[in-house]
This record gives sequence, structure tokens and C-alpha cells, in this order.
Amino acid sequence: MMELAARLPLRDTIAPAQQGELVVAVQRAFAEETPVYPIGGGTSLDFGLPAADEGIALQLSGLDRVIDYPARDMTITVEAGMTMTRLAETLAAEGQRLPVDVPDPDRATLGGVIATNTSGPRRYGQGTMRDYVIGISAVDGRGVLFKGGGRVVKNVAGYDFCKLLTGSLGTLGIISQVTLKVRPVPRASRLLATPVNGWNEGRQRLEALASGAARPVAIEWLIGPAWSDDPALVSAAEGTCGRLVVGLEGTVDEVDWMEQELNRHWDELGAAAWSTIVDDAAPALWRRLTDFPANPDAPLVVKANVAPSYTTSYLQRLQIIDPDCSVQAHAGSGIIVCRFSPTPPAQGYEQIFPLGLVPEATMGQGSVVVLGGRVTRELPPPAIWGKPTTAWKWMTRVKQQFDPKNLLNRGRFVYEH
Amino acid sequence: MIAQRFPELVRELQRVVGHDGVLAAQSELVVYECDGYVIDKNSPDVVVFPRTTEHVAQIVRLCNEHDVPFLPRGAGTSLAGGCLPVGGGVMIVLTRMKEILEIHLHDRYAVVQPGVVNIHLTQKLKGSGYHYAPDPSSQGACTIGGNFATNSGGPHTLKYGVTVNHVLGVEAVLADGSVVQFGGPAEDYPGLDLPGVLVGSEGTLAIATRLWVRLTRDPQGYRTLLAVFDSVDDATNAISEVIAAGIVPAALEMMDQGILVALEEAFHFGFPLDAEAILLIEVDGLEAGLDAQRDEIIELCQRSGAREVRRAETAAERQKLWKARKQAFGAVGRLSPSYCTQDGVVPRTKLPHMLRRIAEIGSRHDVRVVNVFHAGDGNLHPILLFDERDQAQVRRVLEASEEILDECIACGGSVTGEHGIGVEKLDFMPRLFAAEDLAAMDRLRIAFNPDGRLSPHKMLPTAGACSIEQSSPQRRAAL
Ligand SMILES: Cc1cc2nc3c(=O)[nH]c(=O)nc-3n(C[C@H](O)[C@H](O)[C@H](O)COP(=O)(O)OP(=O)(O)OC[C@H]3O[C@@H](n4cnc5c(N)ncnc54)[C@H](O)[C@@H]3O)c2cc1C
Repeated sequence: MMELAARLPLRDTIAPAQQGELVVAVQRAFAEETPVYPIGGGTSLDFGLPAADEGIALQLSGLDRVIDYPARDMTITVEAGMTMTRLAETLAAEGQRLPVDVPDPDRATLGGVIATNTSGPRRYGQGTMRDYVIGISAVDGRGVLFKGGGRVVKNVAGYDFCKLLTGSLGTLGIISQVTLKVRPVPRASRLLATPVNGWNEGRQRLEALASGAARPVAIEWLIGPAWSDDPALVSAAEGTCGRLVVGLEGTVDEVDWMEQELNRHWDELGAAAWSTIVDDAAPALWRRLTDFPANPDAPLVVKANVAPSYTTSYLQRLQIIDPDCSVQAHAGSGIIVCRFSPTPPAQGYEQIFPLGLVPEATMGQGSVVVLGGRVTRELPPPAIWGKPTTAWKWMTRVKQQFDPKNLLNRGRFVYEH
Repeated sequence: MIAQRFPELVRELQRVVGHDGVLAAQSELVVYECDGYVIDKNSPDVVVFPRTTEHVAQIVRLCNEHDVPFLPRGAGTSLAGGCLPVGGGVMIVLTRMKEILEIHLHDRYAVVQPGVVNIHLTQKLKGSGYHYAPDPSSQGACTIGGNFATNSGGPHTLKYGVTVNHVLGVEAVLADGSVVQFGGPAEDYPGLDLPGVLVGSEGTLAIATRLWVRLTRDPQGYRTLLAVFDSVDDATNAISEVIAAGIVPAALEMMDQGILVALEEAFHFGFPLDAEAILLIEVDGLEAGLDAQRDEIIELCQRSGAREVRRAETAAERQKLWKARKQAFGAVGRLSPSYCTQDGVVPRTKLPHMLRRIAEIGSRHDVRVVNVFHAGDGNLHPILLFDERDQAQVRRVLEASEEILDECIACGGSVTGEHGIGVEKLDFMPRLFAAEDLAAMDRLRIAFNPDGRLSPHKMLPTAGACSIEQSSPQRRAAL
């Protein structure tokens, strides 16, 4: 855990083996007013602002039991320190899955994924963590274990703590146990790619995909050096504005039909045909599509969220700011991840936010946040979390109720104090 | 004539929304003394009809200045007493805020005011290739604001998700009168998912004044089946088999013999009266996959002992089956003068056990119970039949209801899948949740509604001081 100490100001690391030990550790921290940094797989510690004060780490990967898996009910209850790989293996044994894409699944834990609301290409067709968490337990900033939801797929009793804690960055409670709704593994899955020549063409193709008869589970727009020589994509020509990649899932008949339909549609549009990514290469490409945001070498990785029809405009702006950047847009959802090139922008990293990234996101009715990268620590808080809105005041009110001494992940999110 | 308790406040409210936007006479207020839950009744002191967000904000500020409680109301179809003005006060009825403000098909969202009736959005979208997925059976009357507040479901939410899965953002007036936007047309705004938290908060955290809702592509096709079973056990077993086979039907509804008899008497749909249960199963999606799914379901039903599986071959036949399902509650009126619908949930595999228990509890309390429900979700709606003029029957119905809900909890389920806690099920909250869980919920309430003036005494046993006599479930309105 050398690496951890370098990334967080740690005085001590505690690794509870039981939820009860977790409670005791937080209660002690509360009494001593010691900041607490919950850690799952340690994969997203650069997300958000740097930790503010010295404190203790709570290493949660020891909480990794399956509590209950009634597979025929299509729900599973597990402890939150379980890695995503183990969860996936457990579900796969019953032909089921949680269809949320997570980078570095061997290390990433379910609790961390929920806290950071991680998602990937399939979000377009399958949704995000908020659509799957149906029950949750967490330890608040006083060391009190509380829960919400339950173990059934439909339930409106009480306030929805599942939604409250999903994406809360571990600032309201340390997630200890989770019940998920799961899905059957589709019988067939396929990836197709097509070149994009020019921004207008890209915009039109996206509209065609969004309203076409085929229903892809993922619509990805990939631009830049990270994708140019991708081994799975080399067979698919790259256009002047990169490539579109779609993911198809369903029964064999459905996937075959969608592939035909996409080609028929593209032919009608006078567009180049789709190339099918060969089966051997497809799993690795899914993996790269999932891992892209987590690249540790890029100087800066940002994520913008805009209304989907604004995606093209945002991509254009990114190209102006850094012509050599690599971009992945979950284009059907208006989520754009950009890895900047090694060449610093002429106006400096700090300035590209107020001068380009932020106003462009505002135009698209969204915002932009920093996911990571070497220069993150040099950026001021407004760059990391984007423009404050009036909603933040109410987030702060909630934070004060759940963590009155501001111990949980102190400083990582910009609550107003 | 009962004197108006807050004459000064009434005058100030009239200045905000005009005279035609305020009701203050007792004779007009009685209409608002309850919603679809009719056991507890209490008139508000004033009813006010805002037309803009700014109106709502001003009304809330005036209520705070006068220290008077207030609560939002949509169409008043809540089945849990969410609209009961406990302790009186000002009722803010949002039905005049009924504009569909924007529709963006390419971005898959619409912006609506809270008083838009659910089905109006669907009608407006007809022919566009998109629809609004949450389809509560009350969709012809209930408002999207009310759906937001109760996190409503419907037959097709099995595949498509309930209201919270379709709300992107909300502009709300909070308990202190401030106007705040949470979320919006894009996904993944930074910070806490407060739109997700406000959905289902039953009007106790915020008053929605504008909503960004997700639009869903229409499916390319449907296959609708009606499977007839000689035993309830076989039917519930078939449900389990279908789900376990990895099929996600768009809808999977069950009706038992009691309901079938009532439906036949009323509408002559041609259901077999000797069947113990029927399943209405629909799959939707790409045409390319539908026949295979249909055939697999037929086979699973037959293997589970279905006597017969009928297919809807045409759109008209499909509509007829859905009409039967949607009219089931109307038909119950033929069986008895009064009835009470419960809203329990159990894990789907516990359905056979739960239905046996419901029958057994009913017969032990000498109460007739019929069932029509969202079987695919495990969301039961046992309907208890009685005559409300007979106090002994009423008592037995209350006891049986309570036992049924307790059994849902014992099965690892919940006491409400879509109707909400309201005032009706307050007593069950401490049975479902530990004291620490309820305390955490109370803290969330305090973050938004610290003085408790916004819809007091709802949802949480601790949400207010003034005591109303807690009564148990007993209502005529139904799923
Ligand atoms: C015949 C019948 C069938 C039904 N079928 C279903 C069904 O299939 N599925 C289902 O889920 N429910 C069903 N219901 C229950 C009910 O229709 C739903 O709960 C519906 O969402 C309520 O909408 P409403 O506009 O009538 O809200 P109301 O009853 O007016 O209000 C419900 C709650 O929401 C709050 N509220 C209303 N508007 C707002 C707002 N703008 N901001 C904040 N809070 C607000 C109120 O204070 C109250 O707590 C049914 C009811 C009936 C009578």
C-alpha cells in the first residue's frame, strides 16, 4: 500500500474483516475527529479533489462475502468490498450479469464503483448503477450503520438511500453491503465500426443511429491516437473524424438482424459499410472501451456531460483545444471522455477550463469534471468539479446531516462550508 | 359555517394567484379532505392553485411567515393518504400547471409541468416513435408530479423501470421557498443524485414545479399471451420459470379466479371460469427476437402445467387483453360493496408461498380475497372484499391486511411496491427498518424540510408531533 500513502495523507490503515469492525473504526474516528478515507480497490483515488487532512484509510476489500444469491429472483446481496471480477464470476455461474462497465475490475470494488457512479459504453442501452442498486447499507460519519431499500426489485418504502449513496464519492457514508438487481447474460454480442469523415457527417450518423430501427446497446465515437492503431479496429477504416463503434446485444437472431439493418441503413445513406469486429478481437475491444477513462499516463483526463445532440459540437471544441487528444464519447448519452496529449495546451491547463471546456459544456446544458491525470493536483477546485450550482447548497445540507464533522473523504467534493 | 382560521393568509394568497385560484369556504374544501385513501379525512384550511413556479414559491414563503403547514397535491389518486392535510393548513394543488413545455426526441427527453396528466404526455407523443414508459393503471387521471412523488410503477415497468428510472431532473420549490434545479437534460451531473432522492419522497422534501423526463423508443413489435392454469401454484411456478430462463418480459401480470369471475360477469371477455389463475405475458422489442421468445414462454408455461396458452394475433386482440387487465379493478365493485387493495412485494420465487398464505389468512379471518397483480416484479395487490357498514367485517379486513403485509416482510419483501407509505403504512416503517435507518431518513428530511411544515406526518413515524389517530388500511380505490 505504498502507493496509497503517496496519494492520500494517511496516518494509519485499518482493514475491517466484518461490518461490525467497520462501525467501530468509524466510531473511534468520530470520537477522535480523525478524517476517514474509505478505499476499495484504490482505482479512483485521483477522482475529485485531493484529500484535505491527515487521516486513516479504511481498506474495505476484506468485506467481500456473498450474503445471499437467490439467482432465480435475479437479485444478489454482497458485501461492498467484493471486486467486480468476483461479482461477475459469481453471476456468470448462473448466466447473469450486472451490465455496468467498470475499468480495472480485478481491483475495483462494488462499493467504490457505486460511490463513484462508474459506467461505460453499455450505459446507453443498460443504464447505470442507479438502475441496479435496490438495497444498501452504509456507515455514516458518526459510525452509525444505516440501510435503505431492501431485497426486492420494486419497493417504495422510505427515502431512497440507494440513489443518495450512488455517486456520493464516499462523502455521506461508507457503503458496506449492497443488493443488486441483475440481468441475464445476452446470448449474442457484437461490435461494428464505421469511419466518420467530417463533423457534419458524424452528427447525421448519430441521429440516424438514435432513431434507426436497430437498437444498439452502445454508441461510441472514438477519435485520436489512442484509437487509430487499436488492434481490433485496424480492419475498420478510420475517417477524418475517427470512427463510430456500436455494440449490439440480444439473441442471435436479433443481433444478426440489427447488423443487416445497420448496413442497409448506411447503404441508404450512401455511407461506407460497417465492419464487424471479429469475435476474437471483440472482448478485448470491449475491455479497452471500458478502461479508456482510467488511463494513468495522460496528463489530464476530463469527462463532459451534455445533451446527446450536443456531442458533436463538444468534440469539435476538444479538437481545437488539443488536436492530438484522444476521445471516447458515449455518444448516445452525451458523455464525453477526453485524454489530453502529452503536449501542454498553449494557454496552460488551468486556462482551458474557463476558456473552452466549461463554456462549451454549459452551451450543451451540462458540465465538465476532471477524472484524473498528472496535472490534476495543480488545478483549482472549480476546474475539478465545474461550475457550482444552487443545487450544491442542498448537497451540503445533506452532507452536514450525514457527516457532521466532515470526516468522510474530507475535501474530495466541493461542499460549501 | 366554520370560520376561516387564517383570513389574513387567504387574502395574501389571493393577491398571489388571484381570487379564482383560492378556495377557502368549507363547502369547497371538503372535496380535498382525502385522496384515494378514504379512511383518514381532514379538510385543508385553504386550497390554492398556482400557475407558475413563482406562485408556488410565494405561497410557500407566505405559509412559512404565517407558520402554517402546507402540502402539494396532484390529481389526488394516491392510495396511501399522501394528500391528507394532517393538521390542516394550505393545500397546493398543481393541476393548473399542466403544460408540456418541451419535447426533444433526439435527446430523448421532455420537459413538463407537474400537473400534466400522465396519459397526456403519451398521447402527445403518439406517432413520434417515442413514449413515456411509466404507465400506472391510473394514468388517465394521475399527474406526472404525483408519479414523481410516489415513484409510480405500472405493468410495463417490469422491463422499463419505474418513475425514478425516467426522471432526469427536477425544478423544485423547497420548504423554505427557494427554487432550485436538480439535474437536467443531460446525464451524470456532478455531485449527489438529488433528483433520484427526491423521486419517491412523497411530497415531504420538495414540491416539483418542472420535470425533465426520459422518453423511450417504442418497441418494434409485441407478442402478448394469455396462459390459463388449473392451479395458482402452477401459474406462479411458470412466472419463476420464465424469469429464470433469462427472459425479461415487458409485462407479466396475474389474475386469479375471483377476479376472472368478476371480469366475466362484467365484460364477457370469454375467460374460462373454472381456471384458477391466468397470466397475461407480453414481450416486446425487435421483431427478429419475438417469435422465439414467445415460443419459449409458451413451452415454459406448458411445462408448468398450463391448460391452454392463447395468443393475441392482432393489435385488437392485444388491446382486448390489456383492457381486461386494466378494468379488473372496476369489475371488483360487482363482488362486494367495499374493497381494500394491498401493495406488498415479495421475491418472485416466494410468490407460490405468499399466495397460499394470502388464501389461508383470508379464510381464517373469513374475508374473501381476490388477486390481480404485477407478478413479474413480485408486487402483489390482494384485494380484500367487505361491506364497510359492518364493523365486524371491517375489523377482520384490517387484521387480515396487517397479517398479509407482515408475511411480506417475513418473506424478505416490502409493504409497498408502488403506492407509497403516506399515512396509511406509517406503522409498518419500524417493522421494515431499524431505528437507525429511520433516524437516517429523518436526517435527510431535516436537510430539506427542517421545520417540518412541508407535508407533516407522512412517510416517517417521526415526521411531526401532532397526533392523528392511526388507522389501518381500508379503502375502496384500488390498484
Ligand atoms: C385506480 C387506481 C389505479 C392506480 N394504479 C397505480 C399503478 O398502477 N401504479 C402506481 O404506482 N400507482 C397507482 N395508483 C396510485 C396513484 O395513482 C399514484 O400514486 C399516482 O402517482 C398519484 O398521482 P396523483 O397526481 O394523483 O398524485 P396525488 O395523489 O395528488 O399525490 C400523491 C403524493 O404526491 C405528492 N405530490 C403530488 N404532486 C406533487 C408535486 N408536484 N411535487 C411533490 N409532491 C407532489 C402528494 O403530496 C402526495 O404525497 C393507482 C390509483 C388508483 C386510484
